[in-house]
Amino acid sequence: MSFLHINNVHKRFGETHVLKGVDIAIEQGDFLVLVGPSGCGKSTLLNMIAGLDSISEGELLLDGRCINDVHPSRRDIAMVFQSYALYPSMTVAGNIGFGLEMRKVPRKERREAVDRVAKLLQIENLLDRKPGQLSGGQRQRVAMGRALVRDPQLFLFDEPLSNLDAKLRVDMRSEIKQLHQRLKTTIVYVTHDQVEAMTLATRIAVMRAGELQQLGTPHEVYDDPNNLFVAGFMGSPSMNLVKARIVEHDGVLVAQVATGDTTLALPIVRDREALSDWCGRDVILGLRPEAITDPASANHRDGNIHEAELPVDLIEPTGADLYVVTTLGDASVNARMRPGTPLRPGERTRFAFDVSRMVVFDPESERRIRDEQMIDSALEETA
Amino acid sequence: MSAASPAARRGAATRVVLYAILLVFAVIYLMPLYVMLTTSFKTLEEIHQGNMLALPGEWTLAPWREAWGSACIGLECNGVHGYFFNSIKIVIPAVLISGLLGAFNGYVLTKWKFRGHKIVFGLILFSCFIPFQIILLPMARVLGILHLANSTGGLVLVHIVYGIGFTTLFFRNFYASFPDELVRAAQLDGAGFFTIFFRILLPASVPIIVVTIIWQFTNVWNDFLFGVSFASGDSAPITVALNNLVNSSTGVKAYNVNMAAAMVAAVPTLIVYILAGKYFLRGLMSGSVKG
Ligand SMILES: Nc1ncnc2c1ncn2[C@@H]1O[C@H](COP(=O)(O)OP(=O)(O)OP(=O)(O)O)[C@@H](O)[C@H]1O
Ligand SMILES: [Mg+2]
Repeated sequence: MSFLHINNVHKRFGETHVLKGVDIAIEQGDFLVLVGPSGCGKSTLLNMIAGLDSISEGELLLDGRCINDVHPSRRDIAMVFQSYALYPSMTVAGNIGFGLEMRKVPRKERREAVDRVAKLLQIENLLDRKPGQLSGGQRQRVAMGRALVRDPQLFLFDEPLSNLDAKLRVDMRSEIKQLHQRLKTTIVYVTHDQVEAMTLATRIAVMRAGELQQLGTPHEVYDDPNNLFVAGFMGSPSMNLVKARIVEHDGVLVAQVATGDTTLALPIVRDREALSDWCGRDVILGLRPEAITDPASANHRDGNIHEAELPVDLIEPTGADLYVVTTLGDASVNARMRPGTPLRPGERTRFAFDVSRMVVFDPESERRIRDEQMIDSALEETA
Repeated sequence: MSAASPAARRGAATRVVLYAILLVFAVIYLMPLYVMLTTSFKTLEEIHQGNMLALPGEWTLAPWREAWGSACIGLECNGVHGYFFNSIKIVIPAVLISGLLGAFNGYVLTKWKFRGHKIVFGLILFSCFIPFQIILLPMARVLGILHLANSTGGLVLVHIVYGIGFTTLFFRNFYASFPDELVRAAQLDGAGFFTIFFRILLPASVPIIVVTIIWQFTNVWNDFLFGVSFASGDSAPITVALNNLVNSSTGVKAYNVNMAAAMVAAVPTLIVYILAGKYFLRGLMSGSVKG
């Protein structure tokens, strides 16, 4: 029995069908991150879990109990809102302690709980201020404090870090991660930030237009996407998607990519069984930038590296990496190379393709073409 | 400043003209108040000399004392003070109750929307456009049935009923821009309907409370028509008493006493403007939500 079970949940606002049957189940202590394009229904789903929006259809189970009709105040859920929603006329201490006050916690205990949380979030010196006198980052901490002080069964975070500057965001991110590791409370967290999703989550749910695209560990969603949308949405820079044709070449299954003058033939090592049915048909290949490198940085151990000489269109140094853009078929392709690799646009250089990380999609249904077994053994090793 | 550009000089000239015009209007506007004030401190003989704009040659408080305590209104010669307190007794409950009801209406109409909330608001709003005169007869009948005719209580009821339309309008529009998420957060924190209203919304409503108080206080205090229609004799408000005072003085018109009484009638609204205006602060909502 899972701890939080979102069972075929629908949401309609009048005529508009916002959530179209979402199924998500997570265990106690999980950190579920909801990602998806703006307007796909993430906040709506969060509000429904909190009880602030009604459920049009389906069932919501928390710890085995159906909470569809339970009042928000009785769900034992704390939420951090996308806008911080601090009470403007109360002090920081009043804001944090309000939930406890409403639950009739005695004044002394309340004071202690507020102090404890304030210390945790390093806002002890702000307790007597009003929200209007705080900076964005401080308000954000108060909003967190208001949730943390309550020790609920479930935390809901709606893009809590979206308005912070880059530095504060990274700090808060690791604080949230530490907090989760310490408290082990179940969390549902909405974000647009790829790094936040990958670093915080134990489970990622990718949504699109009110439908769940994939639910899995960050590793599964990143390396083993269900469809083209998930492949393109997760990761930054995003996965390279290239048109190709599956052919059998001397008894070996390869994906052929036309690259101007030559044809690149990448051997298929993953999902071979499923792909043998696709001989002679067009597909879309997915390759992460980090699966295309310079030969020296490639992992040659498993013999899954395929090298090819290609022209360099553009180089983009980021400091930590050097992204090299080349052309495969009619698509620009990003490769990640060691910084300092001496390259200039217009030159030709050798690229190393890690074909064990290559995923293949059906261009029509946009679904992944994959073997039946859920866990790819090759993938397990690279992990 | 010697190098001031022609554009800057033209700007300054425009400003001088503008301020001059404004000053003229301000003087015209304040002239009656000035005449009232100076006249109320003059003796009758001095008034009869005819120079309205002159300062009192000899300052006297006698007209004020008479207006307050001994001027004759109808048959009784006790001044306006009794009627002044009548008005106080009417205005305080009328302002507080109509304001509170308006705030509640605004809260429910924006944060607890129910089916048909727009129609209900439309109907309440409609009451703002009904002229006073239309409701005089039906209201007199209702007060008769309630045994509130000719009493301050009856007048309080009339002002509350008539004020709810405006107070609801003020609070509804104010709460419409009050973030729903605050209400939702409070619900998750375990606060109920009334707690959310009194602890979250009302403390953040100071600007609109001030507007409502100024509006309702001025309307109720300055009302003459309802007062003269529904409360006569001892329960009349000060506006009615002032009218009676001016009309009932026989023989020589005691302009100084009349002016002093008029000032007494005007002072409370002035005080409300001065006191409440101080709390007319903006930006009380800042910091509750992002941005
Ligand atoms: N009260 C409402 N009435 C009608 N449609 C609504 C209502 N609330 C939300 N929607 C619609 O539901 C969809 C999902 O909204 P939601 O706020 O859940 O998006 P989101 O995924 O959180 O987006 P973002 O990332 O921008 O916050 C949107 O298309 C929105 O227009
Ligand atoms: Mg949202």
